[in-house]
Amino acid sequence: MALRMWASSTANALRVSCASKAHVSPAFSLSRCFSSVLDGLKYATSHEWVKHEGSVATIGITDHAQDHLGEVVFVEIPEPGGSVSKGNGFGAVESVKATSDVNSPISGEVVEVNSKLSEAPGLINSSPYEDGWMIKVKPSNPSELESLMGPKEYTKFCEEEDAAH
Amino acid sequence: MRVPRSLEVWKMGTVNYLDALKLQDKLISRRKTHKISDTVLSLQHPPTYTLGKRRTDHNLLVPESDLKTIGAELHYTQRGGDITFHGPHQAILYPIISLRDIGLGARNYVEKLELTMIELASLYGVKARAGGVGETGVWVGERKIGAIGVRISSGITSHGLAFNIDPDLNYFKHIVPCGIADKEVTSLRRETDLVLPTEEVIHEQLISCFARLFCFSDLIWKEDAPILPDNGEAE
Repeated sequence: MALRMWASSTANALRVSCASKAHVSPAFSLSRCFSSVLDGLKYATSHEWVKHEGSVATIGITDHAQDHLGEVVFVEIPEPGGSVSKGNGFGAVESVKATSDVNSPISGEVVEVNSKLSEAPGLINSSPYEDGWMIKVKPSNPSELESLMGPKEYTKFCEEEDAAH
Repeated sequence: MRVPRSLEVWKMGTVNYLDALKLQDKLISRRKTHKISDTVLSLQHPPTYTLGKRRTDHNLLVPESDLKTIGAELHYTQRGGDITFHGPHQAILYPIISLRDIGLGARNYVEKLELTMIELASLYGVKARAGGVGETGVWVGERKIGAIGVRISSGITSHGLAFNIDPDLNYFKHIVPCGIADKEVTSLRRETDLVLPTEEVIHEQLISCFARLFCFSDLIWKEDAPILPDNGEAE
């Protein structure tokens, strides 16, 4: 079983201290203030994860990302056979009237896509690291994985990003 | 410690939809490469219907060819959200800002855009509220006064919000606005008894609400800003 590390996600508790009106965020249960970060995965600064197993890498968006997006209502992913390149968009997710581009952490050929996402886009929210996976890629340059963040680094990155307001 | 943040405000008057899209694309690349700071475009469009990434054109109730006869254009876009109408007397803000710099995700960003319009409405005694789940936007009772449709690319926003000051609401009859049937569209004119100032004043108030909610400490106003020429350099 993957060891789970818990990171604080302060954006959900964000308060607008400089505005004249206090804004109360919709109620969240305490557990939602902490996004999960899994061992064994690599992470991009744009909040995608990669799981490299043998010749295939699976890519999705992190728990932190799905939490900040809100309920996903639509997912756009490429067809198998296309290619992706590191740092460039390969698809998008829509939530709360916002379409957010999803970028690939690595380059390679798309060998499989998660077709369940067209009928069940909410899988990205309920299971971002498992059933909500987005694409599987044959990496063309496996050394790209080394420049990605590990779980500890990514956890710290999220904390710093959420504190930046 | 809060770092002072400046916002460049482009006051643009009436802008054709495609011109505004091209300008936003240019500004997004410049913002990504840190050539410009956070920017917001303040404008209105001539009569224009737009669809989002999901291309929900089943919510257009008349044939596209009819739109030309009523003097309106139709555009397919990459923003989130469903079909909507933009036209004269509707105040639009297109913020091109970096969400990563302020640690905001899509959900919090959209909530603040809703608040921006709610605060503006309250200046005129109108009690507006954010929509419930699946009804993003700003409502007065069961009537929609403000719409949102946003695109986020590598953490940089584009598209934004549209607030009905006093548009011709008949244009909304040709669509199922935002894909929500059986709900009316309304405007500030309809909801308040107060005499409205000039629209320029209302646009400026909308910008001030936005700037305050997003904690911008400095506003740099650019009046009658021209669309960037094709060679890409600003004046």
